[in-house]
Amino acid sequence: MEPQRLEEIIGRYPTPTGKILGILEHIQREMGYLPKDVLKLLAKRLELPLSELYSIATFYSFFTLEALGRHVVTVCMGTACHVKGAPELVASLKHHLGVEMDETTRDGKFLLTTDDGEYTLTSARCFGACSMAPVLRVDNKIFGYVTPERIPSILKQFGWEGNHH
Amino acid sequence: MIQVIIDGKTCAAEEGEILLAVARRNGIDIPSFCYEEALAPYGACRMCLVEVVKGGREGITTSCTLQVTEGLDVLTESPEIIRLRKALLELYLAQAPRSESIRALAARYGVTRTRFTKKTVRDDPLQNRCILCGLCVRVCRDVMGVGAINYIGRGQFTEINTPFFEENETCQGCGACAEVCPTGAIAIEDIAPNRIMKSWSGTKVPLKTCQSCGRYFAPSPFVDNTLEKLDTALKAALQDLCPDCKRKEMTRQAILLSTGTPLPMK
Repeated sequence: MEPQRLEEIIGRYPTPTGKILGILEHIQREMGYLPKDVLKLLAKRLELPLSELYSIATFYSFFTLEALGRHVVTVCMGTACHVKGAPELVASLKHHLGVEMDETTRDGKFLLTTDDGEYTLTSARCFGACSMAPVLRVDNKIFGYVTPERIPSILKQFGWEGNHH
Repeated sequence: MIQVIIDGKTCAAEEGEILLAVARRNGIDIPSFCYEEALAPYGACRMCLVEVVKGGREGITTSCTLQVTEGLDVLTESPEIIRLRKALLELYLAQAPRSESIRALAARYGVTRTRFTKKTVRDDPLQNRCILCGLCVRVCRDVMGVGAINYIGRGQFTEINTPFFEENETCQGCGACAEVCPTGAIAIEDIAPNRIMKSWSGTKVPLKTCQSCGRYFAPSPFVDNTLEKLDTALKAALQDLCPDCKRKEMTRQAILLSTGTPLPMK
């Protein structure tokens, strides 16, 4: 993000220090994530410790600090989806997208992006659509009653053309 | 002045004072982890819970956030308070199993084991001793004006460290974080010519050499920032001398002054 564009975003908020969430949301909307250098610039510009911004960015699951793929596949890992087979969906997606986990983070979260930057696979806690469990979301479209067998046909709607490997 | 009653003892206090401070001044030791006089009330650790019996909103509240009013009557060790404190200590034993201060306080309340799963993170920068009381975060930001560290993440995976877990360039190595830490979680080591903030992603802060004896004595940015706040004469008198040489220099000057032969500073 150009420093000037960041200035424009900050300029939209009359009291920037009280509107950090708004500014961060704005940046993420434009960039798809919160890049480190933009956070550093913002901290300098608002005269806030970088630790403060990093704390906020890691507190809210809405924010992501890593670049995402063009399409984001989010599997619901809420209780209902979990018992209805969400882990199998994740395994199937990993297989079809050709992404593997290097290691599981301590909090069990993952964010996997394909090498070509087309797809990112991640998880979330409960979409509030438990009646259709298991549920997943691609970009802004929700799919219910998903089975591992249906994964390829879902992905094809988003330009997926078969196994990457 | 007003009067408040703590555990049946009448204590004098200023209206609006923090109850915990009034109690300690009167020899009543309410335990706490996150209270620090120099900082605004926070109420995070919950160890200082007291029971308001009369003269305020009756019930259980943290004494570090309770401002005293005339006739306030509280109990600091009622059966209910002791029950809650024991439960809290069990939680703390699980959260910070390696902390000796937690173990010592728990033992004082007869709590020697915990029913909860102990947190054991391998290579935890805070040595499985951090209880997330926030004192280090607050002292760094609110007293030192730096803000090198903060909470990261949330829920059971919350931790405290530098942004992006990188060496932090704003840290001035003052060590206030380790000083206020109630559980001894923060590790700092001086390995010449740097001070290594081992808990804070290995942040290195250069140490300053004493102009007189050549010894490393304090982190450079910390000395510089502190000197900035002094007036010019004092600044000139103190600059870049270790505490020992500073003492000698000041004594030398005092003797010269008292013998009536003021000499220019060395």
